[in-house]
Formats: sequence, C-alpha cells, structure tokens
Amino acid sequence: MLCRNRLPTFGVSFFFTINTMAADNSSQPAPASGAAIQQLPVRSSPTSNPSQREDGAAFDIVRTYRDLLNSDRELTMGVAAIESLIELLRETSSSTAMELVEIVKKEKAKLLASAPNPLPLLAGADLFEQYLLRSLRGPTATTTSSGSDRVLSFEETRQHLLDNKDLFAQRAKADRDSIAIWGSRYVSDSCVVLTAGGSRTVTKILLRAAADQSKHFKVIYIVDGHNKRSDVAVAQLREAGLEVETISPHKVAYVLGNQKQINLVLVGTEVVMQNGGIISGMGTAQLAHLTKTVKGGIKRFYVAAETHKICRKTPIAYPMVNRVGVRQKDISKFDNIGVKPVVGPGSSDTGPDIVDVVAELDEVDYTDPELIDGIITEQGVKMTSQIWEMVDNYI
Amino acid sequence: MAPSQAAHVPTLDNLIKSFNNQTLEASIESLIFLLKWRQVKGDECAKATAHILRQVVAKSKWNDVDQLLSRIQSYGSRLARAAPLEPVIGNVVRRVLGLIRDEATEDRNADDLASEAASDIQSLTPSTNPTAHPPQRPAPVPIRPSPSVISTGLQVSKSMFNLLSVANPGDSPITGASTPMSQAQPASAHALRSEVMDGIEEILDEINQADDQIAGFSEIQIHPGDYVLAYQPSRTVEKFLVKAASKRRFTVLIASHAFSYGTSEAPYATLRKKLNAAGVNTINLASNGLMAYIPRVNKVIFSAKAVYQNGGLLVDSGSCIAAQAAYEYLKPVIVLCPVYKFCPEDPSDEVSRGELGNPSSYVSYANGPAVDALDVENTVTDYIPPELIDVYLTNLGPQTRHHLASILADHYKTEDIGFSLQLGEP
Repeated sequence: MLCRNRLPTFGVSFFFTINTMAADNSSQPAPASGAAIQQLPVRSSPTSNPSQREDGAAFDIVRTYRDLLNSDRELTMGVAAIESLIELLRETSSSTAMELVEIVKKEKAKLLASAPNPLPLLAGADLFEQYLLRSLRGPTATTTSSGSDRVLSFEETRQHLLDNKDLFAQRAKADRDSIAIWGSRYVSDSCVVLTAGGSRTVTKILLRAAADQSKHFKVIYIVDGHNKRSDVAVAQLREAGLEVETISPHKVAYVLGNQKQINLVLVGTEVVMQNGGIISGMGTAQLAHLTKTVKGGIKRFYVAAETHKICRKTPIAYPMVNRVGVRQKDISKFDNIGVKPVVGPGSSDTGPDIVDVVAELDEVDYTDPELIDGIITEQGVKMTSQIWEMVDNYI
Repeated sequence: MAPSQAAHVPTLDNLIKSFNNQTLEASIESLIFLLKWRQVKGDECAKATAHILRQVVAKSKWNDVDQLLSRIQSYGSRLARAAPLEPVIGNVVRRVLGLIRDEATEDRNADDLASEAASDIQSLTPSTNPTAHPPQRPAPVPIRPSPSVISTGLQVSKSMFNLLSVANPGDSPITGASTPMSQAQPASAHALRSEVMDGIEEILDEINQADDQIAGFSEIQIHPGDYVLAYQPSRTVEKFLVKAASKRRFTVLIASHAFSYGTSEAPYATLRKKLNAAGVNTINLASNGLMAYIPRVNKVIFSAKAVYQNGGLLVDSGSCIAAQAAYEYLKPVIVLCPVYKFCPEDPSDEVSRGELGNPSSYVSYANGPAVDALDVENTVTDYIPPELIDVYLTNLGPQTRHHLASILADHYKTEDIGFSLQLGEP
C-alpha cells in the first residue's frame, strides 16, 4: 500500500535526528507520557529524574516541558517542546554556536526519550533546531527574496528566540483560529459532521461554523468513555448551542452507513508525517477506512493540523508507528499470551497494571495519506501530496 | 446551449466590443445579466471576465495598488456571485490579482532599497505594538464585517518557519493591504496600469490559445487504431480530435445523452464531417447504452468546466457516467482542462449537488398537460471524484492528480486563494 510513497532525500539534519533517536532508546524513559495534560491521576506521579539533570545546572528540560503543558491547556506538545528548548537557551551560557547546538541536540534527545510518543515533540523540536541551524548556514544558503523570511545571524536568532517566546505561543494559537476560518467552509448547511478525539482545533472549527447564522448543522461525536478531551469538546459544542450526539467507537460503521447526511468527517492530529499520513489517536485509521469504504454519498475525511505538527519522518515498514519511534505495545509480538499483560519496552518496570491502562489510552495508529482528502492547515487546505513540498522548503 | 436562444441577446463578441463604449458600471451590469441568464458560460466566462477586469483597470479610479486590488476584488466577487457554478470567473480574478501583486512587487524592488530596509525593521516589532504600522498608511478597506479576524487570521507565508519567523504574519492580511504594497508610489500608478493591462492581455492570449496547445498533445495521447470515446465533445475536445485525425487513423465514438427533443439533425454533424474528411471513422452513440461499448474502447476523453484542488472535476452532466463506466472497465480517462480552469479550492456542496438547468429540451411548452403536471429537472453539471480520472491534459502537458498542487502554486498567489472566502458565506 505504501510502495508509492516518495522517499525523501534525507538532509543532513534528518540524519542527526536518526542518531539522537537511536541513542534515546537506551536511556531510561520516565513513566509519565508527554500527554500529561490529560488530567489522569496516574500521570501526576513524580516525573523529575535526577539522572536527567544537566551536569551542574539545575535545568531539567523534561520538567520544564511538563510544567509548560500543565500551565497552559491550549498549548500543543510541539510548541511546548519549542518553548522548553527556548528556556534551555536562556539557561545555557555557552560561548560558541556549535557548543550551543550540541547542547540543544542533547537536551532534545532527553526530551524525546521522556514521552512514549515522541513524534509531536520531535516535530516541534526539529523545527526549532532547523531554525537555529539555518542561521549557521548564513543568509546565502536560503532565499532572501522576501523580507519576511530573512535569515538572521546566529546571535540575532538566539536573541530573537529568547525575546519572542510568548509571541510564538500566541502565533500557534492564532494558527488555530486561521484553521477555523479555512475549516468552517467545509461544514455545510443541513449536514452532519462526524468527529472524534477531542481535538481543540476541530472544536474551534465547529464553533466558528456554528457562529455562522446561515449554517445549521449537527455533530456526531465518537466518544470512548476514557478520553476526557472528547467530553470537554462535547460540552463546549453543546454550550454553543449545537446539537451533538455521542456514539461509541463500535457504532461508527453503522452510523456512517445509515446517516446519509454525514458529508464530512473531521479529526485533529498531533503529528502529520511528511508523506501526508497522520499518526493520531487509536481509531483514527479505522474511521478513515470506514469513511472511504462505506457507500452512499460523498463523505470527505479532513484532518485539521497546524504546520508545526509536520514531522519529518515517513512510515515505510511495519509496524508503522513503532518504526518511526513511538514506544507502544507491538501486537505482532504476541507476548501477552497466558501471562499478565505487559507494556512495551518503554515502561516495563513500573507498575504494569496502571501503566497498561495509560498506554492503552495513549496508543496511536497510522492513517495512510490515500485515505485523507485534505489537511486543513493555517496556510490553507493542503492535499497530502503537498506536505512533502512544504517540508522540502524548510530543509 | 441552443444557438437560437442566443440570437436575441448580444453575443460575447458584441458584448466585449460594447465594453469600450459603455461606462464601466453598465458593462458590468450587462455581463452580470448575461451570466445570470447563463447566456455566457463555460470558456466564455473566462474571456468575458478577463475583458471586463481589463476595463476595470483602465477605467476605474485608483491611486495605489491597494485600491486597485480592492476594486478588482469587489467587481470580481460580484461577477463570481452572479454565476456561482462557473469557478473560472474566480480563477481569472485570482490570476489578475496575482498579476497586480507581482507588478507591484517589481515596482517596489525598483524603488529605493532604503524604504524596504525600514519596513523590515518595522516588522521586527511584535504585533501588539500599534506603532508597527506606518502612520501614513491608510486603513485597509474592510470587505467583510470582521476584518480583524481575517487580517490576523490568515497568513500567506509558505514556510513552516512561520511560527518562529521574525516577520509578523499578521502584516500580510488577506485583503491584500499588506505593508509593502501600500508604499507603492502614486506616481508609478500610470506605469502600473499599462503593465497590468498588458498582463491581462497575456492571460487572454493564454485562454485563447489553450485549446490549440492542448490539441498539440493529441498525437501523444491517441495512437493508431485506437477507439476513442468522446463524451459530449466540447470545442476543446473537437479541436483535439481533429488535430489527432490529421496524424492518426483511429475511430471516434461520439456519445451524448439521449438525443435532444425536436431536432432532426444528428448531433455533432460538423465534427463528424471534419473527422470523416480526415479519414477517421465516427460512430454516434445516441442511446444511453454507453456501458456496452466501453469494453471496445481504448480511452475516454471529455473536457472539464473546472478542476478543483483535490483533482475533482466539474463537468457537463453525463460525463460522470462515462468516467464511471471507464473506471469499472479499467479504461484510461483523459480530461482536457486548460490551466485557467484549475481552482485553488475544494468543491463546495453546490458543486456535488449539481446545477439545475433549462428542461425545455425534454418537455416542450406545447405539451400543456405535461408542463402542468410534471416537475422536470435537468441537471446540467456533474461532479466527478478524482479517483475516476487518470490524466489531466493541460495546455502545459499531461499531469497526474498529485502534481496539480504545483500547477496551482505556480499560477495563484496564496493571498488570493482566500478570495472565495470573501464572497462565500452570504
């Protein structure tokens, strides 16, 4: 199915990524995941790991990252990763650029090792690292045609990043508003939108569409009873006066087949892979497959995601998500037959029962780009084949 | 469609001639009238739009680029609203807007570099700082009631570095009133006017030549001995087939939906004559039994009214049957679509619902009881999902679905893709 994916011509920086990722697997990851925002009591277990402290300095990037995520619920994991790396810049008093880059790489690796699903963090951290590296290459390396995309010198870049940390978070939130503008056009009058997963971006799109007096639509929300974000989203939508019906995941095919008014399936995601596929909460791929195969009417499957969620990796081999660095149970191992369930290699030595539940909730799957009609970004609605071009620009 | 109807309204050529003598408003109104009555449609819309926008540039009053852009936007959206199912109007408007932006940028670069450096420094300051805007800059004309959301909301940069970049994306709002533009000097307005008009001439040339250019690819696509099914051949398809006939021996199956009411002449007689003269056999399929012929056919050809971002097509009704039939038998479907028909947006719901047209070819007014008792609906457009199409044959050469995005990126400015945002949402 995936043989058609174009293989990227790996840039130097991508090579770095591979290296750091490989190194992470040996280090011991912390039990709590990057999705610590989910108000799950198990996640608030002590997270600071003394071994992860930088020598001498009291700065702990993992703790910074988690504090950031906990302090602002609107923050995406990628932006939180960027912000914690900026904090790192602030704390580090290195004299040379190369040294700083090395420190950033090392801390980035620590940060990635701390989450079972490092991809959202990787997307943000890569963006940050590329931005930093770009300044080393100097203004000649990239196009300087437009004043808006001017390449700064390294010191200027550093200063710019330090000064504007809050601005980046604001921009990331503004991006969500632009996505809402683009996305609300796809919600049509007297139709039904099917959605799942509790994405904040999707909620924004629906709320914006609901504000339009000329559109009257309904929402069917897939909730599984565990995902608190879905409940929050449903509550928000109902508050805005929308008619929201909730269904459980095993009714999806039934509902898609019988509700002829559904013309749009809208999901959010934490990561967009560079081939245009998405790695998102378990069940997304199922929803996408069903949207394409259930007959009757044109149903379109759209994904809402900011461009900073684009991750420069392509899933090629099976098991897809494990191969791109997500640490979750590999079912093909069949290693739980007759024994007490264990989790993947990532968190094997913490209390298996609790961690198992957590891991189940956090599991992700891979949705092929063939199944996705478009990705709604703040820069407009992109075809999946366009994602690669965007990444190409940024290397 | 019938030429007899067009007799008592001005034809497109007459209309375009009349633009020169009339006031701008009168020309616009007459074009809108014709668009609403569907007397101007299909390819003609593109030509008419380009001509009228040329008049707008020439006749309307404007002193700087921003004013010109907003003029074009407001006239353009009036035209586009008059015929919501003719997306080419929007495309031509976007092309012209992009053209103006290009010319303005060139002018600005030709101006002194000092002012550019100044604007860079201004853009360094964060958006919250109100002094970031030069005081002499006129406030952008609000086109929608909530310009602030739009102007801060939609960005134009293509870079993923947006998030971290130095420049403030809010400085380039979708209304086109971006900082560099408004600094263009009024003195250069005259030069700009002639440059833009030249540019529109080029767009018109492109529209006029597109069919011939597409026909130039015919001998690559059609092979000797082929059986080609042409579904309701439009002028583009006719040129394509005739050109191919000059080089190749093949057979054309001309299919159309059930023959129209009350005409004695066989459809597409002139096309058949031309093809027969070149030694190409033609077969008319007058019935709906299209599917029976598909196994014999090598390829299916028709032309599109518009191509959407996702590769979906807006076509004259019936083509979808041909496309679906070919898909079931794994026969290649070739769509002839000049680049100006590519829309940088996804199909709206009206598109997939189809447009209802004049049913008089099915029920005559002479048939009183039928007219009284029946609701006759005649769907004149169809939407074809992208999966059914194999080749998009543009005037720049054949393309596949995955490369449409690059064509769109080459021809439209990101700022203008949101053009339809302004005219949508009534």
